[in-house]
This record gives sequence, structure tokens and C-alpha cells, in this order.
Amino acid sequence: MKIQRFGRMSAVALVGALALTACGSDNNTTSASGTAGGGGSTANIDCAAGEVQAEGSSAQKNAIELAIKNYQSACAEATLSYNPTGSGAGIKQFIAGQVDFAGSDSVLSDQPEEGVVETEDAAKTCGSPAWNLPMVTGPIAITYNVPGVDKLVLTPDVAAQIFQGRITTWDDPAIAKINQGVKLPGTRISVFFRADESGTTENFTKYLSATAKDLWTADPSKVWSGKGEGKNKSAGVASAVKSTEGGITYAEWSYAVDNKLDIAQIDNGAGPVELNSRTVGKAVDAAKNVGKGHDIRLELDYATKEKGAYPILLVTYEIVCSKGQDEAKTKLTKSFLSYFSSKDGQKSLEAAGYAPLPEEVRTKVSASVDALS
Amino acid sequence: MTIVDTGMDTAVQETRDGSARRRLTSGLGPKAAGRRVRDELARVVMWLAFLVALVPLVWILGSVLVKGGHMLFESTWFTHSQRNITSSDVGGGAIHAIQGTLIQGAATALMAVPIGVFTAIYLVEYGRGALARAVSFMVDILTGVPSIVAALFIYAVWVTTFGFQRVGFAVALSLVLLMVPVVVRSTEEMLKLVPNELREASYALGVPKWKTIARIVIPTAFSGIVTGVLLGLARIMGETAPLLILGPYTKNIATNLFSGNMATLPTMINQDRVEALQPALDRVWGAALTLILLILLLNVVGRIIARFGAVRT
Repeated sequence: MKIQRFGRMSAVALVGALALTACGSDNNTTSASGTAGGGGSTANIDCAAGEVQAEGSSAQKNAIELAIKNYQSACAEATLSYNPTGSGAGIKQFIAGQVDFAGSDSVLSDQPEEGVVETEDAAKTCGSPAWNLPMVTGPIAITYNVPGVDKLVLTPDVAAQIFQGRITTWDDPAIAKINQGVKLPGTRISVFFRADESGTTENFTKYLSATAKDLWTADPSKVWSGKGEGKNKSAGVASAVKSTEGGITYAEWSYAVDNKLDIAQIDNGAGPVELNSRTVGKAVDAAKNVGKGHDIRLELDYATKEKGAYPILLVTYEIVCSKGQDEAKTKLTKSFLSYFSSKDGQKSLEAAGYAPLPEEVRTKVSASVDALS
Repeated sequence: MTIVDTGMDTAVQETRDGSARRRLTSGLGPKAAGRRVRDELARVVMWLAFLVALVPLVWILGSVLVKGGHMLFESTWFTHSQRNITSSDVGGGAIHAIQGTLIQGAATALMAVPIGVFTAIYLVEYGRGALARAVSFMVDILTGVPSIVAALFIYAVWVTTFGFQRVGFAVALSLVLLMVPVVVRSTEEMLKLVPNELREASYALGVPKWKTIARIVIPTAFSGIVTGVLLGLARIMGETAPLLILGPYTKNIATNLFSGNMATLPTMINQDRVEALQPALDRVWGAALTLILLILLLNVVGRIIARFGAVRT
């Protein structure tokens, strides 16, 4: 009898739980916030249905989340999940066949590293070559907080010395020399860096070691090798600069914009360059494509002397199998990536602090996406 | 949660003892002063220890309530998923994660309960000699296995060896490893509490052993077993390591244990944890509070069943 009573009780509990879960809804209608500024039209998406999983770089998380949102809003039958576990984890899961495509800050390496050649392993998993498709470019801003100075020019040498702690005050002659006519205060410079391992740190140090070789001798790495005070995540360094007079840091453009911080202009030798989507596009345009065929690998020239090209950049890729995958999944992946690489898709990213791919690269990426089978 | 509970119980218990003793010794005059001082001292230390143990609990509950409480009152929290909600968007709900946690918990229980209960029956009713000792020893070892090890073991078998995808069922498998020892131990205790006279009376009436177990022993211990199962379930629902390794997050409602990503409350917390944007942080605290409440609910139900159906001796 007791059993029956508990049986009844658990039956009621079970039915209750099922009832609770049954009424769930996926139908979230938000005031398409991301598209408001970017004006990303989703009218001409060629929808596909099904489910696709991706994983990887956290630098492109906001961009791909926005693209997924726009895509899914237009295609209710499609479900895409992106887990920002980091580029390394994304590539590992891609090679293990656990995800349909990976997001990464760097291309699959074709050189053996610890006995592993990523391109070969990926090709083995795919049964066909894996392609790297640049999809999102995110400029890195050098942001500062010096009251009264809303325009500041930095050269690689001066930047390197600041981030190494060699230049300690804002009125240092080295800074004054490249900022003629700007009234610099004697405030102490407080450098903030990313305490966590970060692709932003890696790309920023890549830039410094490429442009100020003699001064910045440490190898580029995800761990900061300069001086200063560590803060967690981009949000941490950005808010530290915001609240510290004399503070300076490097962060993704979107964080500088969100926190309304001043952004330094960079002078690589051809005059000061302001950070905006045009100057970023110019730098990506100047990047060399060293990939073969539909595999696109951009080689950035950090030391570019080209006029009006903003040199501190982060390019993130989607890594996909070129063919031979499950038909439905391929169809959805292809459909999503062709939206992502479309003019509309790229334009909507601007609102999230990313720069659209320059037209020439974008057409190439689009062609590669079309060639997926 | 269990740890803090015990801490509270003991502290209260000790205090009672302390005050009882004080009453006894208080009439002994000046010679007992030293004892009285020591007694007072012990009482103060005990109270302090109790308060120190209470601080983190109250702190955690307080900050989760303050920061996440309002999310539970959002109209969509218990009805909608996070589909099409980016980190900076306000809105959506946690139903996809609640549902995932419940589904995976149910799947785990479905596997772990029979295994655990039958193992316990074997240990109490049948097991003699080396095999029983070995089983008991293994259960002890399993109790001490960290969740990350269980998760990696299943990853090695499920993904590396068989080449399957990371799906909800794999998560449930690794949770089974964590739940079985809890169920075995609690069921074992309950079965041991069943008085032997009941079994003997049954045998005396000519009832075979299996029927005695099924009709006499199990029903007598039933409520205790259910309590053990619910507590075991509460233990595994908040597990995170297996989810991070085997259960990638998704913002969509997913009900298929065998294909695709499935969201759970711990992974939902993990997803937006690194964000600095307020809507994302609100969701993290909201999900944390939801998870705490869910587990609290299971604990409470477990205890209520335990109270109403204690083993009758």
C-alpha cells in the first residue's frame, strides 16, 4: 500500500515536471538590438533546417552570436550553437569530429607541433581538406584616460616603451615629440594588462614585436610579458582605465566603444591612423592571402607603412570541412556561413564593435562557402 | 549544503549539552570557578565556530538572492529559452537549462537507481565472503572518485574509443558513476534497519527469500530508499565537471538525449560567466539561484518523505 502511495506521489511529481517543461518556448522576440545600428537585413537568407554545433575562439563570440541570432530569426527551423571555449579547444574538438565547424584566432597550422600537424589531422577527420575562412576582423584599440587629451598619437616604439614601463609619465619627451601641440599633463602612466590568457594579448604583442623589434624582445604569447597591473578580461582592463586617471591599456574595439574610452591613433611611419572600419578594412585588404585555392589564410602585415591602414588587428576564422560531411548539416553550415559572409551579415557586425571584411576578401570567402559540398 | 546542515546540528547539540552542564555545576561555589570559566569559554568557541560556518552560507544565499532574485520574476524566465538572445540582450528565460538539467537527472536516476538498489540488496541480503567485500570496497572507492575523473573516463570511452558525439546521454552516464555509490550506501543503511524479526516471520510462513525481500523488506525501507535517491539526485544535478567536458551548451530547447547539444543550468552559468554586460550577469545569477532552488526542492522533498515514512520497527 505504501508503495502505491509513493508511486502515486512520484507519478504526480513526474507529470508536474513534464508539464513544467512542456510549455517552454524557443520563441524569443527581442527588439533586434544588434541589427538596429548595423541595419543587417535578413531578407535574402537562403534558409536551411537542422542543428549545427560549433566551438572555439571567444574573440568572435559576440560577432557569431549576433550572426546566429539574425540567421535564426529568419530561419526558425535552424538551430546553431556556438560555445566560446577558446581557439585551441575549438580546433581540438573539430579534429576529434565533435563539432561541425570551429572558430579560431589562428589558422590550422601546417607545421608539425609536438608531432601533430593540425591540417593533416583535420583532413583525416573530414575525409577532405579543411578550409580556413576568415570571417570576423576585430581591431585592438590602445585606449587611455588622460583628461584634456582627446587626441593622442603613438608610434610602435613609444607604445612598446610605455607598455614596458620605461616611459612613466604622460609628459615624457618621447610622447611630447610625436604629439606636437597637445598639452600633456605630468600624470603617472598606469598600464593595465589582461591577467587571463588571451588572444588579444597575443595579437597585441605580435604587433609590438613586429614593429618595435629592438625594444620588444619577448616572444608573442597569450600571457602578457610587459609591465603593469593585471585585470581579468577585456571588461576588466577597460573599466580599470575608465576609473584611473593616467591609465592605458589594449582591448578589443568594442570594449573601448562601450566604455566610451579615448582611442590612440597609431603611427607606423606613414602618419597617424585613426581606428575606424575604413582604416581596418584597408589593413585587412593589405593582408596577403597565403592559402591555396578555397583555403584562405591571411597574413597580416603589422608593420605596414600603408597610408590610412590601422595595423593592430585580430582576424578570426571559421574552420570547416570542405566536403563529405552529413548532407543536412553541410547544408545548414553552408547556408549560415553564406549569410555570415554576405554583405548584410558583415555589415551587422559593426554594431558589435567588429569591422566588416573588406569586399575583396569577402567575395573570396563567399566563393569558398559556395564551394562547400 | 549537507556539510553546513551537519555543522548546524552539532553546534546546536553541543550548546544544549553545554547549558545543561552549566546548570549542574553552577551551585558548587567558588571552587568551581575555573570549571565555569572553561565551560563559558567552550560555549563561546562553539558559538563562534557555528557562526563562522554560517557566514559563507548566508553570504552565498544572500548575494545570489539579491543579484538573481529579480530574474525569477521575469515573465519569461520559466517559459522561454535563450534562443536568439545575445549576451547584451535582455530577455529570454532558463527553461531550456532547467529542462536539460531535469532530463539528464531523470535519465541518470533511471540508470543509477536500479543498479544502486540491487547492489545494496545484494550486499545486505545475499552477499557473503570475498565477493561482497570486494563490491563493498569498490563502492567505497567509487564514492571518492572526483567528478572530473568520472567525466574524463566517460569521455575516453564514449568519444575517444567509440567515436560518438558529446550528447546528453554521455553526461548522464558519467553522472551515473557519481550517483550509484550514494544510492548504494543509503539503500544499504535503510535495508539494515529493517528488523530481522520481519524476515524471520516471513520465512516462518514459508515465503521464499526473493518474495520476502520484494514484499516485506523493500516496502518497509521504501521511504528511506526514496530519500536516498532524491538526495543522490540533488548531489548530481549541481555537478559541473561532466557537463563542461561532455555536455556543450546551447541556447535552444533540446530534448534529445542522443543527439545535439543540451543546455543545463551549470553550463548556462558558465556560458555568460565571463561577460561584463549586465543582462548576461543577471542571467548568470538567475540561473545560479534557479539551480540552488531546484536542489533545495529535491532536498526538502527527500526529507519530507523521510519524515513521513521512517522505517517502522
